[in-house]
Amino acid sequence: MSATVQARRTTPALTPQYFLKIASVVAGFVAVWWAWNRLNMSVLSFFDDLQNVVNLFKRMYPPNFSDTDRIISLTLETLWIALLGTFGAVILSYPLAIGAAANTTKHPTIRFICRSIITLSRAVPELILAAIFVVAYGPGPFCGILALAVHSIGMIGRLFSDAIEEASETSGEAVTSVGATRRQRIRSAVIPQALPSFIATALFRLEINIRGSAVLGLVGAGGIGQLISESLETIQYKPALAAVAVVFVVILIVELVSTSIRQSLIGEAATQQQNKQRGWLSSFINRRDASLNKTAYEKRAISAPWTTERVFRATAFLFFLVLLFLAISTVNIEWGYVAQNTHKMGTVLRQMFPPGAGGESSLLIKGLVESLAISIVSTFIGVLVALPLGVLMARNINVRRFFSFGTRIGVLALRGIPELIIAVIFVSAMGLGPVPGTLALSVTVAVFAAKLFADSLEEVNPAPREAVAAVGASKVQEFFAAVVPQFISPFVSNLFYLLDVFFRSSTVLGIVGGGGIGYLLIQSIKVYQFKITMAIVISIYLIVLVIEWLGLGMRRLFK
Amino acid sequence: MSPHLEVVANESVATITVAALSKRFPNGTLAVDDVSFTVPEGQVVGLLGLSGSGKSTLMRLINGLHTPTSGTVNAIGVDVGLAKPAELRELRRHMGFIFQQFGLVGRATCLENVLIGSLGRLKGPRIGIRTYPKALRVMALERLDRVGLGAQAFQRAETLSGGQMQRVAIARSLMQEPKVLLADEPVASLDPESSNQVLDLISTIAREDGMTVLCSLHQVELAIGRTDRLIGLRDGKIVLDQMTAGIDPGVVMDLYRRHGTSDEVREASYA
Repeated sequence: MSATVQARRTTPALTPQYFLKIASVVAGFVAVWWAWNRLNMSVLSFFDDLQNVVNLFKRMYPPNFSDTDRIISLTLETLWIALLGTFGAVILSYPLAIGAAANTTKHPTIRFICRSIITLSRAVPELILAAIFVVAYGPGPFCGILALAVHSIGMIGRLFSDAIEEASETSGEAVTSVGATRRQRIRSAVIPQALPSFIATALFRLEINIRGSAVLGLVGAGGIGQLISESLETIQYKPALAAVAVVFVVILIVELVSTSIRQSLIGEAATQQQNKQRGWLSSFINRRDASLNKTAYEKRAISAPWTTERVFRATAFLFFLVLLFLAISTVNIEWGYVAQNTHKMGTVLRQMFPPGAGGESSLLIKGLVESLAISIVSTFIGVLVALPLGVLMARNINVRRFFSFGTRIGVLALRGIPELIIAVIFVSAMGLGPVPGTLALSVTVAVFAAKLFADSLEEVNPAPREAVAAVGASKVQEFFAAVVPQFISPFVSNLFYLLDVFFRSSTVLGIVGGGGIGYLLIQSIKVYQFKITMAIVISIYLIVLVIEWLGLGMRRLFK
Repeated sequence: MSPHLEVVANESVATITVAALSKRFPNGTLAVDDVSFTVPEGQVVGLLGLSGSGKSTLMRLINGLHTPTSGTVNAIGVDVGLAKPAELRELRRHMGFIFQQFGLVGRATCLENVLIGSLGRLKGPRIGIRTYPKALRVMALERLDRVGLGAQAFQRAETLSGGQMQRVAIARSLMQEPKVLLADEPVASLDPESSNQVLDLISTIAREDGMTVLCSLHQVELAIGRTDRLIGLRDGKIVLDQMTAGIDPGVVMDLYRRHGTSDEVREASYA
């Protein structure tokens, strides 16, 4: 009897899958070690670097807001670029999304074409698009708008078509069953169902694009980024800080407003809010709406009464129209000049083919490798910082509300600053090179990842935690026994998502001297070597595909 | 509306003729197997059978949402299997279809959902009540009154109860002024009280308007007193076809019992 007990394993057998898991974790650390050495990173010099950044901020303080007119007009321009760029992307994405969704387009070829356009438009970073447009159309906000519009199709088109595919099939069938055409079916059954998600997506992208448009000025495509880079280049730190502060505040406000609107449009919060009776205001609204509906019925009205919800919706729509009108009438676009130079865009496009390194292949490879190293190291540092932050932020893990709330506010505030602005500041403080770029990107990774991790932690199933607590485990034991195992799979998938997103970011750090392929990329555009530009863009795209493919494999492995 | 189709709609009798109809799905399932029957104008037929017996597929074949593998479907004088897309749309304009899951657009108001029933008569897409002509809006309001939901005209469909939703769906069908009404398990997702209400509504309207009705159900009790004739399906084949008056419920029960002896199946039939 005792012999059999001894013979039984008490540790899991080394299955091929288990071995692969261990091997991939080791490979991950080897990759970090390689990238770390490639960039000559050193933990000791972090403190010097930190000191340099602090010194720079000391020189920047107090901010100089004296150039008020310029700050205001450029801030507004930043907002208008983001608004018009997002609006343009929405207009372009709508037909593409209908063409890409399986329930609205039966023809597989059309679907494939629309999907490909959506995927490819995301492949080129918006700053690079903007730089190319600046060559063709000359500097100005038009290039920024166009760049944002084209690049945003990648996300908006994708999310729009997802929303369309989520629409209930029976509603569509019911519309078809009355003898309606395909177009009638799409407009009557599909679009109304997808509309809240459309609006939420557009708002979400608007938030992202405001962050994006704040740095478009770095390549001459309009907005406040221009002021920031000018001031830093001419070592006028105080106006630079003023501009950064304005960007920071504007982004924070837009994000707060947009987040609250989005939450009321979709998700659980939306349904809860609709069902909840809250105080005298909602009871007043309910009574008013009930009496309006009653009058409408008695009068046999054939159009909807002006209920509070309808008034709210109409006001929001009007507000949007006014904003759009303001944007179009304020933004400084010389349409005549744009029309004159449209043929130049054709020339630029033609010069991109055939793509080739043009004798710069060693620089190209060196830049790509450096970008990859930057993204690996900054993802590593960022994730290290983000893990404790995420735990602190997650409302279901943290015992003390105060910490959770505080971390949330801090992370939300930092999230607003575009990584290139952080990179510009770090480069000014530490000098040119991949190290400031990596550190700047690490900050962005950390706040971005903290939010992702907190969201994943909040989705953890509470039942196993209760079970572990029920056997008398401590809070910490409970966390490691019941929360961590559930967190591993989303962690792996988030990790590769981060690597994907921040590899793309690392390819433009070079624009501000933060290392990587970005320097060659922007130089090739400035000296009209568009063949090289195209070669780099294709290489970036291929690396992104490899990262996505690796991520897919790892997600399966760690499921 | 093309003149040719106008003729079809006016002169043809509202009958449904199904001849040697079979439907095999790409995955190999033979959902409808050599089915033949004729429903004369004005008859209310209950289509009985368990889940998976082919009732839904049969309904969809009649409406043209599925195309037959072999055999023919003739509805209101149109060969459904051979009809071109425009002819099929024209046919559907005269044929109401009630779905088990209602098929309402949840975020749209009830009135707008009813107005969807008139899309077959309109050209071009519509979104929002105001894009429909006034006369149609008045008509839609009357249809809602007829199903007893006039007061809910401007409420979102998703705020209604299941029974109310199905009544809005019936109003949507009425908007088509149909000659034929196909109801595919209209009460399968409703509680007993709403089920009775909805079925009474369908049978009352059918008799008042002289509609030809084919209504699938899986409970015999619900069909008795509301239908003229019962057709039973099992594994895609017709196993029962007789007038409802004086029918022996035991014979109908047999339809289910012979299927299998598991308690689950019997429970489904008595539920």
